Amino acid sequence: MDVSQYLEIFLDETSEHLQSLSDQLMILENEPENEDTINEIFRAAHSLKGMAGTMGYKRMQNLTHDMENVFSEVRNGKMKVSSHLIDVLFQALDALEEYKNTIQETQDEGTNDNEAIIKELQKILDEGTGAAPAEAETKESEEPKEAEKEPEAAEEDNADMKWRTVKLQEHEISAIKDAHTKGLHVYGCTVFVQETCILKAARAFLVFKALEELGEIIMSSPSAQDIEDERFDFDFSIFVITESTFDQVKTAIMSVSEIDHANGEEILADSVMLTGGGDEEEGAADGAAKAAKDEKETKEAADTAPVPVQQTAAAPATQQGGAKKSGSSGKPVVNRTVRVDIEKLDVLMNLVSELIIAKNSIVSFSNAVNDGAAGFNEQIEYLESVTTNLHESVMKVRMVPIESVVNKFPRMIRDLSKKLDKKMELFMTGEETELDRTVVDEIGDPLMHLLRNSADHGLEANDVRVQRGKPEVGSIFLDAYQDGNNVVIEVRDDGNGIDVEKVKAKAIERGTITPEQGENMSDKEIIDLLFLPSFSTAKVVSDVSGRGVGLDVVKSKIEALGGDVSVKTKLGEGSTFSIRLPLTLAIIQALMVCVGGEKYAISLGSIQTIENITSDDIKLVEAKEVIHLRGSVIPLVRLDQILDVESTKDPDGDLIVAIVKKGDALAGLVVDELLGQQEIVIKSLGKYINCSSRLISGATILGDGEVALIIDANVLI
Amino acid sequence: MDELKAIGEYDTTQYIVINIGDEQYGIDIKFVENIVRMQSITRVPSVQEYFRGVINLRGEVVPVMSLRRKLGLEDDEITNNTRIIIIKLEANAPIGVIVDEVKEVVTLENSSVDSVASSSKKEENSYINGIGKTGGTLISLLDLNMVISE
Repeated sequence: MDVSQYLEIFLDETSEHLQSLSDQLMILENEPENEDTINEIFRAAHSLKGMAGTMGYKRMQNLTHDMENVFSEVRNGKMKVSSHLIDVLFQALDALEEYKNTIQETQDEGTNDNEAIIKELQKILDEGTGAAPAEAETKESEEPKEAEKEPEAAEEDNADMKWRTVKLQEHEISAIKDAHTKGLHVYGCTVFVQETCILKAARAFLVFKALEELGEIIMSSPSAQDIEDERFDFDFSIFVITESTFDQVKTAIMSVSEIDHANGEEILADSVMLTGGGDEEEGAADGAAKAAKDEKETKEAADTAPVPVQQTAAAPATQQGGAKKSGSSGKPVVNRTVRVDIEKLDVLMNLVSELIIAKNSIVSFSNAVNDGAAGFNEQIEYLESVTTNLHESVMKVRMVPIESVVNKFPRMIRDLSKKLDKKMELFMTGEETELDRTVVDEIGDPLMHLLRNSADHGLEANDVRVQRGKPEVGSIFLDAYQDGNNVVIEVRDDGNGIDVEKVKAKAIERGTITPEQGENMSDKEIIDLLFLPSFSTAKVVSDVSGRGVGLDVVKSKIEALGGDVSVKTKLGEGSTFSIRLPLTLAIIQALMVCVGGEKYAISLGSIQTIENITSDDIKLVEAKEVIHLRGSVIPLVRLDQILDVESTKDPDGDLIVAIVKKGDALAGLVVDELLGQQEIVIKSLGKYINCSSRLISGATILGDGEVALIIDANVLI
Repeated sequence: MDELKAIGEYDTTQYIVINIGDEQYGIDIKFVENIVRMQSITRVPSVQEYFRGVINLRGEVVPVMSLRRKLGLEDDEITNNTRIIIIKLEANAPIGVIVDEVKEVVTLENSSVDSVASSSKKEENSYINGIGKTGGTLISLLDLNMVISE
């Protein structure tokens, strides 16, 4: 059987568990005594182990197994959480993340055994348990539990050994006999699934799959078909013919996660004779109980680590007839979500786009027929409200909180703090801010660059901070919020800020600018130099930042997403990097303009005002046309020249100027005519057309079927 | 071996024959998505000169190039026979090619296609990967990858 169909679920669950582990470890570092956290980590590690085992990822399983062992010690109070332990655990997390990524790419876990980490964990385990030799105060050690277990075991047997009551058919009995003559073992076994398990059938399937690797399942109760259709309670019984020992069989079963426990034993040749009729034999039952107990004991003895998890978990569960285990009741409430393939959403999105185009064409049709009946207009308005609502709800489906990206940052800052030997703390707000899925997938790297930048360049060394009268621990803030049709993400630090003079000196030294240019540049222009390729002011190139590939990459990535980056800084007080991103990429409100008889769309988001100016208002500054508007000097951009068309307007007449802004910068675009505001659907020009100036960011289809190009005003400023 | 020979003999390709000026060119039919009449083309400023612009093809924006410009001939003269052939070399990336006229579909046996002598593989000829014969006329078979790429 093939497990690849579960790969996706496995990867999803692994990511969730890894994130949970990372979060909890962060908490644990601050509160080493937090029992809930320890339990949570233990559970996550255990689930990971089970899942990795089922999928056949042995290396991953080994690593998680060792993590689990350590936590089991911690949980039992035999070991204290040290900062060294946390470090090693974080390394282990990274290793697991690596396995996950390799699996994602190749379906294989790779060949890295991560022996160093495993050894380190073992060492900690040995030291930890040795240093705290079974302290008397260790509460709730296994002793009382073990004492309880003895009588329980006997009672359990009847309920747990349901397979004994299964009636075997003729051919099954003969199959068992055949197996015996071939020297194979036959085991009967009842498997109990956790009551909180949602996908019982899937778990059962994984049990079958695990067992089929070891041998042959000759019979199950309920039937395989019933199990597949989830027609069973929480247990099912199976008969297996295999070469392996029962321990191996049981381990295989328990490697499937959400399996509570499994009980069974070997069916001996003579017992088949006896139970051939299907009746229970008292003696056999007793024997079985004893065998089961023996097996438990040997298992315990074999495992030098504390109580094996399935037992601690299983004992209370069976006792209360399977009441909720502590293990699963503490599980955090997960959002009830449906995973939707992004391609399906794209299809839906395209349909909405077409609907909007259809609507636009009706609108233009009704404009053409001036005396259109009032009823027709009403219908159009209705259609308009429907399409707008539909658009909004589809967009909402595509929106995901940026949380999924930013929640790895606290860990990153922690690591940076150690690596750079600077004390720092990350404060995040607005993690719930939502962005289009495609954008969220892309902003991780730019944000990471900015955070590293703040940690490395922004924050001063601790002693410098103290000298300057700042708190010793540096603060980095990551704030996200919605602002109109944009989402703004700010990375702020209370560090040194950007030293404009230093940047200028560096730029001159590198020949980026001449000293004369430097004299005339505003502070802002100089800071913008930082975003040029290969510009790094760090005196020491560290492996955190300072390779000079940071900020320009951030800038180009953000711009590719239709956003922009800006910086505010105050020397000695810190800097703020703001990323501004469009909420959605597919449908925008646009101003339609006419230039030289051609129609163009300009995103309404970038337009500040529309001005009517006379040609007398135009002044020349350094041979460039500018206008004065409410106290600011705004450069004019003649769109007809840039678009290479003849303006249809009288050159001496009044001009229509659309004032566009990008951050604080403004520019006035001279157009021939305004056609009005419209909701447009952005379409790509395709891969073959190579627009060298990046002026045209796409195209849209108008109501009359004509194609209009979309001007990216940001390029002109 | 006999088997292979048999397959080889029946190995044929269908081409759409188009006119550009006095010459006939063949386009492998498997890449042809559609043939549409000339329609209004929206010019796109500052792009490769052989691109005429983009058209609206049933709600999709499709770039359109001029084969004449690409082959270095005089510019298109739009007539009633002018057509845009929509070609799809890969999924989701259609491209239109303007031709003077679409004549017919011919079936050529692959074995009857002459390869272009390498010595003549210069300039405009690099867009041609074979010469086919039908009814006494020669058809230059276009290498679409070369035509469409830069």
